[in-house]
Amino acid sequence: MLKRDHQVVLPTQARAPGFRVELKGTTFRLVATGAWTVAEAARLDRALKRLRVPLPPTPDFTGEMDIAGIAEIDTAGAMLLQRTAAAWEKTGLRTRYAGATEAFGILIEEVQRRGHAERPQVDRRKPLQFLTEDVTKALTGVWSDAVQLTAFLGEVTAGLGRMIRQPWRFRTTSFIHHLDHTGFRAVPIIALICFLIGAVVMQQGVVQLKPFGAEPFAVNMVAILALREVGILLTAIMVAGRSGSAFTAEIGSMKMREEIDAMRTLGIDPMDTLVLPRILALVVALPLLTFIGDLMGLAGGGVMAFAVLGLDASNYIDKLRDVVDFQHFMAGMIKAPFAAVIIGLVGCLEGLKVEGSAESLGTHVTSAVVKAIFLVIILDAVFAMFLSGIGV
Amino acid sequence: MIVENGQEVVIRVRGLAKSFGSHQIWDGLDLDVYRGEILAIVGGSGQGKSVLMRVITGLLRPDSGEVRLFGQNVKTISPQDRLDIERRWGILFQDGALFSALTVLQNIQVPMREHLNLPQAMMDDLAFLKLSMVGLPPNAAYKFPSELSGGMRKRAGLARALALDPEVVFLDEPTAGLDPIGASDFDRLIRKLQQTLGLTVYMVTHDLDTIFTVCDRVAVLAEKRIVRTGSPAELQHHPNHPWIQEYFCGERARAAAPGERPRIPA
Repeated sequence: MLKRDHQVVLPTQARAPGFRVELKGTTFRLVATGAWTVAEAARLDRALKRLRVPLPPTPDFTGEMDIAGIAEIDTAGAMLLQRTAAAWEKTGLRTRYAGATEAFGILIEEVQRRGHAERPQVDRRKPLQFLTEDVTKALTGVWSDAVQLTAFLGEVTAGLGRMIRQPWRFRTTSFIHHLDHTGFRAVPIIALICFLIGAVVMQQGVVQLKPFGAEPFAVNMVAILALREVGILLTAIMVAGRSGSAFTAEIGSMKMREEIDAMRTLGIDPMDTLVLPRILALVVALPLLTFIGDLMGLAGGGVMAFAVLGLDASNYIDKLRDVVDFQHFMAGMIKAPFAAVIIGLVGCLEGLKVEGSAESLGTHVTSAVVKAIFLVIILDAVFAMFLSGIGV
Repeated sequence: MIVENGQEVVIRVRGLAKSFGSHQIWDGLDLDVYRGEILAIVGGSGQGKSVLMRVITGLLRPDSGEVRLFGQNVKTISPQDRLDIERRWGILFQDGALFSALTVLQNIQVPMREHLNLPQAMMDDLAFLKLSMVGLPPNAAYKFPSELSGGMRKRAGLARALALDPEVVFLDEPTAGLDPIGASDFDRLIRKLQQTLGLTVYMVTHDLDTIFTVCDRVAVLAEKRIVRTGSPAELQHHPNHPWIQEYFCGERARAAAPGERPRIPA
């Protein structure tokens, strides 16, 4: 904002902007006063839009913007003056400024010079086009995701084959580190969640079966459910959220800072150092976590069975022994390594897809978790069909 | 309003102290910024140049000391007055700090939307005007920050800082990361805008070229305070301090000094 005089602080009423138009001889004059600043711009804009553009009766009429009464001006004010002057010019009034200080003159000239820039056209998409484009993009995205994931599975398998032939490529430290992070440190949360869900299912089972007098069968339900579905699903979902996202974030931030490019130039294969240790660690950790999840689910069910059915520990275990079969346990357990491979693959692949920006990292972490959980559930459904097909 | 030597003091800092943990960065720091000048804050790394900017703009609180903006003490100011003051300054962060979800045009209009109630057509006019003033082509308006180069992001950030025609502009390392041509263009732009808009410019910089070509005054941060202020030429000819000696009389400074290249006329 430019002030006419730096040292003078204007009283409020003198700040109020205003203008009037008068005809003096053959000159239309717009006499502006007060503070023509962005804070007052909305009011000035409205008033100036209402102003009728004077029509010169003969060509020798001129226009004048008298700004001697303006105390403060900024680009918004200058722009409004300029807009008015341009409108006057259009009707054939040659318009000039009067009463500008040097600083005001510089600003007005600058605004005048800049005001005529061509503006680019925005191409707005129609709603229908928007919809079809997005649907197409989503569908082709699913296809390309499937292709990429398959290709990556191939790469990882090839990398694993290479590692088996050249065992010194195996990164023990990295493997142990990830085993600790994805496995050991996940024990408390997975144990807690499985325990609670086991208890909740038992309690609901008893409530729902009571009208049929079948509440003792709630134990059967909990035992089968925990071993076949709940243990593995909860664990896999939890690990996808915890470790899948961590894989994407770690690898993605390395990709973002060009660390992965640096590795490649140093002759280090990111497959050996980053991807394989993570996936292998997960393949070891997830079955172990699932086992803990199974036990805790049964324990949760047991506690609730004692609370609502009055079944004590030895009776509960006897009952479990009758109901549970090794097949049930294995039907859950067999899914764990497959789920681990899916979570690891998706997490690492999404990390490698990250581009330069932090937003890209965020989107890929989100999509890693969503895709991993989705695929784990698909896997579970496929296994359920397969296992019931072979009668397990 | 504080007036000293016939000049209005827009920012006055007195006795500022700040420490992070056990590391004290300033103890009794004093600084005045006068209306209409371009002031550069220089100092070795870790002396708290950017922190000082953050304290003045209220992003960080000092441990003790006083900051007066436009004559008002920021500690005792009412929230309404605080808002009014925030409208009177613009800040350019190092990488522009543009909102990534908004286009450049929307970014420039954020302060207008937030503080004023302007019709959309007028905001568009103003935003395109600001865009042109900072030297960006009109087609940059509908781009997102991620589609711009570093130099363009800085210019767009400056356009946003200028959205409400502030009286004071804070620039954090305005030429860092720009190539020499881009940097000297930016220097020229700062001088030009300062003249047209009557800005007071507070800039944190390392760039000797910027200091010698556009800055009116330099304040040197060292030994936990401002050890000296003066024009770049004064500091170069009479350093009187080992750090200033090294900074203003080293090979790089000699190459950048005004004898070698003309100053952009004020």
